[in-house]
Amino acid sequence: MKKVRRKIGKYEVGRTIGEGTFAKVKFARNSETGDSVAIKIMAKTTILQHRMVEQIKREISIMKIVRNPNIVRLHEVLASQTRIYIILEFVMGGELYDKIVQQGKLSENESRRYFQQLIDTVDHCHRKGVYHRDLKPENLLLDAYGNLKVSDFGLSALTKQGVDLLHTTCGTPNYVAPEVLSNRGYDGAAADVWSCGVILYVLMAGYLPFEEADLPTLYRRINAAEFVCPFWFSADTKSFIQKILDPNPKTRVKIEEIRKEPWFKKNYFPVKLGEDEQVNLDDVRAVFDDIEDQYVAERSEITEGGPLIMNAFEMIALSQGLNLSPLFDRLQDNVKRQTRFVSRKPAKVIISSIEAVAESMGLKVHSRNYKVRLEGVSANRVGPFAVVLEVFEVAPSLFMVDVRRATGDTFDYHKFYMNFCAKLGNIIWRPAGTMPNSNLLKQMTL
Amino acid sequence: MGCMNSKSVRKFPAREDSLDLAAETAFTVNEVEALFVLFRSISNSIVNDGLLSKEEFQLAIFKNKKKDNIFANRIFDLFDVKKLGVVDFEDFVRSLNVFHPNASLKDKIAFSFRLYDLHNTGFIERPEVKEMLIALLFESDMKLADDVIETILDKTFVEADLKQDGKIDTEEWETFVKRNPSVLKIMTLPYLRDITISFPSFIFNSTNVERVDETSTRL
Repeated sequence: MKKVRRKIGKYEVGRTIGEGTFAKVKFARNSETGDSVAIKIMAKTTILQHRMVEQIKREISIMKIVRNPNIVRLHEVLASQTRIYIILEFVMGGELYDKIVQQGKLSENESRRYFQQLIDTVDHCHRKGVYHRDLKPENLLLDAYGNLKVSDFGLSALTKQGVDLLHTTCGTPNYVAPEVLSNRGYDGAAADVWSCGVILYVLMAGYLPFEEADLPTLYRRINAAEFVCPFWFSADTKSFIQKILDPNPKTRVKIEEIRKEPWFKKNYFPVKLGEDEQVNLDDVRAVFDDIEDQYVAERSEITEGGPLIMNAFEMIALSQGLNLSPLFDRLQDNVKRQTRFVSRKPAKVIISSIEAVAESMGLKVHSRNYKVRLEGVSANRVGPFAVVLEVFEVAPSLFMVDVRRATGDTFDYHKFYMNFCAKLGNIIWRPAGTMPNSNLLKQMTL
Repeated sequence: MGCMNSKSVRKFPAREDSLDLAAETAFTVNEVEALFVLFRSISNSIVNDGLLSKEEFQLAIFKNKKKDNIFANRIFDLFDVKKLGVVDFEDFVRSLNVFHPNASLKDKIAFSFRLYDLHNTGFIERPEVKEMLIALLFESDMKLADDVIETILDKTFVEADLKQDGKIDTEEWETFVKRNPSVLKIMTLPYLRDITISFPSFIFNSTNVERVDETSTRL
């Protein structure tokens, strides 16, 4: 009868907070940091019996790829001889659906705010090639500050089953797009957009747009997008929802079009996301910021501050051969992701030249001291594209400009770099006898 | 030798081995198991012998086994603790440990000192630094005149070589590094925090024992 405090790794395990066919979910606390987590526990025998090994591996990989503040974070994965444990962020505020059940429909403004966060999050995942396919209010959680957290992105196999707060039969596809129901091949992005539209309707109406006691009638109504907007929906809201709940996926509004809609744009503050190398950039920024503070403090009486001075060891540390990250990031290709050039022009001239050329290429420019961030849309319009440049002094009147891809496709980066350097030609210093194009071509083939 | 061979081709680390490695490093048992998944994939990429060769290491870093690099070679040599020309899993884990975010600054400083002491003289000497600097410039397709390189080295040694004897000893290196922390940025791999998520297939082979049996809780 003695109660034993159970520990899994560094987590002290508490009460059960969820249970489903394949997983039990327990509350736990990280004994090192005090943070709350949710642990999904699965028996290996169950996984093997249902042939879910590859699915679980794929879904864990997806959770890593789509990291985002509005997605429930996967902290780590643990295992014992008999069980696996998936350690997830614990979200304090509960399910958005519970809020609707308790409060009834939400105001238009409140609904819009959640919808904006949902669209930004879904778009973030789509840009990474990940589609949710099971969006519904039960997968939308609220954190302590009332912000949206999408759960089960990639973990749909672990969704609670048999617990259906909508009181409909198990598997009722109230949020599923018509083309998914038809079992034809379908576009994951368009299907997720439809589900977002159903969610928006539920938030504002307090009930489902498609709800029938018998499945055939339900399927028919979904396929025809046969729904009625309640009288309290404004004309703008009605029009907006109709564009989303278009049964034809080809003509259904897309996410980038949703973003341009006046209804959507009201009080809209997009979050800056999409960094592929967020962790590394944070580390780099933190280190440089610290050094910068020192230098500025030391030199405040002498000059207005120049670029950071790089010593021989800091230069050597730039080598790809000293960067072990590719061991762990199997998705990297062998195209160089860091490039750099030397200039003898004054540092301020280098910065202003970079800014002028970037603007002429249609890029957004953000400068701070001797760091410049350039942002644009990739050539194939697939996603955002960003480059970070930094000027360092390596010798008197000699500067090195480090150019690094922050986000976007590596092929786009290389096209950008060659084009950019060609335009910058006059400030790039090359030893006598070197043809301007030969270095760039050589780099491309490396 | 027979023992080494049979050990090399094992499918998954034995529980005792994982426990031992976890005890002497910042990695947990599960993280050691995840590292084994990584190690197996890179160490069998050219020769399926369960050992990591220099070519396999280069292939993993550059995705190109023909690319030679003075720095990658140097790291490999430091991982090759037994000087056999190949790295086994145990030395791989112990060596990677210094790159863990939780590894001590002291260990990172010591490793980086040995890394830059190219010719194992016990000091970081000016000719070694020049050799490395030229290698970096070559790698980056940047060419600088010799006098510019000497200027860079002069400036660096004024700051690092406190005794002004043309070489940097371990004490001078520690002082220099603490004043210039960006020199150590290569010594920390944030990826090592996420190793179980990066290589999740270990979960199906894990031999980890749960600390407390669940049945006793239900009594």
